[in-house]
Amino acid sequence: MNDSKNLILAVVLSALVLIGWTWAANRWFPTANPPSTKVEGGKQQPLPQPSAQPAGPATPKQVQSVSTALASGPRVRIQSSSLSGSINLKGAQIDDLVLLNQRQTISKDSAPVRLLSPLGTPGAYVAQFGWVASGTGQVPPLDATWTADQPVLKPRQPVTLTSQTVDGTRYQIKIGVDDGYLFTVQQSVTNGSAKPLNIRPIGLVSRAQKSHDPDSWTNHVGPIGLFGGNADYSVDYKTLDDEGPQPFNNASGWLGFTDKYWLTALVPQSSMNAEFRRSPSGGYQADYALAPVDVGPGQTSTTETRLFAGAKEKAWLDRYEEAGILKLSKSIDWGWFEWFMRPIFNLLLGLFHATGNFGVAIICLTLIVRAIMFPIAQKQFASMAAMRKIQPKMKALQERFKDDKQRQQQEILKLYQAEKINPAAGCLPILLQIPVFYALYKVLLVSVEMRHQPFVLWIKDLSAPDPLTPVNLFGLLHFTPPAFLAIGVLPILVGATQWLSMKLNPQPMDPAQAQIFAIMPWFLVFIMAPFAAGLQLYWMTNNVLTIAQQWHLYRKYGLHLSDTHPVHT
Amino acid sequence: MIAKLMILIAKAWQKGPSQVLPPSCRYQPSCSAYAITAIERYGAARGGWMALKRIGRCHPWGGQGYDPVP
Repeated sequence: MNDSKNLILAVVLSALVLIGWTWAANRWFPTANPPSTKVEGGKQQPLPQPSAQPAGPATPKQVQSVSTALASGPRVRIQSSSLSGSINLKGAQIDDLVLLNQRQTISKDSAPVRLLSPLGTPGAYVAQFGWVASGTGQVPPLDATWTADQPVLKPRQPVTLTSQTVDGTRYQIKIGVDDGYLFTVQQSVTNGSAKPLNIRPIGLVSRAQKSHDPDSWTNHVGPIGLFGGNADYSVDYKTLDDEGPQPFNNASGWLGFTDKYWLTALVPQSSMNAEFRRSPSGGYQADYALAPVDVGPGQTSTTETRLFAGAKEKAWLDRYEEAGILKLSKSIDWGWFEWFMRPIFNLLLGLFHATGNFGVAIICLTLIVRAIMFPIAQKQFASMAAMRKIQPKMKALQERFKDDKQRQQQEILKLYQAEKINPAAGCLPILLQIPVFYALYKVLLVSVEMRHQPFVLWIKDLSAPDPLTPVNLFGLLHFTPPAFLAIGVLPILVGATQWLSMKLNPQPMDPAQAQIFAIMPWFLVFIMAPFAAGLQLYWMTNNVLTIAQQWHLYRKYGLHLSDTHPVHT
Repeated sequence: MIAKLMILIAKAWQKGPSQVLPPSCRYQPSCSAYAITAIERYGAARGGWMALKRIGRCHPWGGQGYDPVP
């Protein structure tokens, strides 16, 4: 009775998994990056990447192309090994920035990812610094035209922008850039008028659209900041739509917007009044105002702010943290298990630098995990070998209590205890492996280092699902199967190796559980299909190593398959 | 509230992963059953801690056999 109930439950659960999985996975649990390639006519074609291609109207203003906008006014070029773009002298806006080391698609000649775009273009996204008058005095309007002392901004060659108001006060913005993603912005004001001046330095980041990357409970995308030492992932675009502006007063830290891989963050030196809000034009804005400063006639006041605008690459984030930007690496939403994710991520990056290929690094990670787990398997097999000696006693017990399963189980456990052996390894070894798997899932999901990283053959992006599927005859038929049917080669290999490794494992005594065992590998194929190829690779390698380990241990202890596959009583 | 959530997790473990994993229980009752009883009897904090300690000794060098919630 109980057995059939279990079986029905298993069938119902299985059906639910098959039908609901794709839907549920997309809804709550982003499985992988969108596919970056598609196999068509036997050839692999790069697909456009949504997160790298802003689309749709930016503001109610006339929409123009980026190249038109860039040609329309005086600009200072930005040129470094990581960044390229320009500063708009009208408004002193940094509004044109591409990330040279990140490409839009996996194709080698693909254009670099554009982070910032001028106002009025699709996906407008700008950073701006200035002042507001809090008492007396004049400040340059936000659309003032500034003059520059250099035509090009390069590392170690800062540019100073100057604007003078009619009352003789000189405002200067000195912008420097490093080889990574950090701008240093010194704002200084020299009061040339006869009256004292009371002003507040401000800075803002404004974007016309929400991110194309999904915000989910495993990864925050949207307004982000660090206030008073704590990273804040709670403000979403929807919060700003529904509840209005979100202020953080008298806070020190940083604020801006994050996409999955890209970040803009304003980092003032002193305590600020920060706010996230919807801008009147329909976009979103993160801004701060510093405390008002008094500047007497003839005096100069200077404040310094840093602006991070780029990819959330660990090496740079770490360096900027060392340079005093508190917890900038928190801009990656590692979640609760950060303490565990980071060591795995560091290990994986180390393996990547050692081997030069992320797929090989994942295989090495699997090897390390299995090596740590090996003594457990060895101990388990030693126990199994010892079990042969007590086989007659076992048989006797099974015979004696064959009508009382519960009692039989208890007596067998007692026998194990008396003989000091136990073929079961316990649940701790299993539970310990789950965080490793979750950490890898998370690393593949959030880290820009894993973006567009190839393995071998047809795996061109480990952070996206396997694109090669037998459903359309490996791309020979010209149709793209629906998501829940697009089962790649890797997940099929995962299922096959899982089936084999389960065959080699001790078999369950309970026939209903044996049934579940028999179907489980084939469900795994469907479940793993939408996940990142890197995760599929990890699972498959894990299975292969398990099989190799079982085979080795069977031989080492002179066991036969029948020793671990007792005849059902 | 937290206790209920913890029990739910233990039950989900029993219905889900535990069904498809190779039999691994060294103890009776199983760790998940132990956790449910312990949390029901001693609450989330103490019961949860007892369950954690039980899982902590559920490995090849740990104990085995009949080990009910005290």
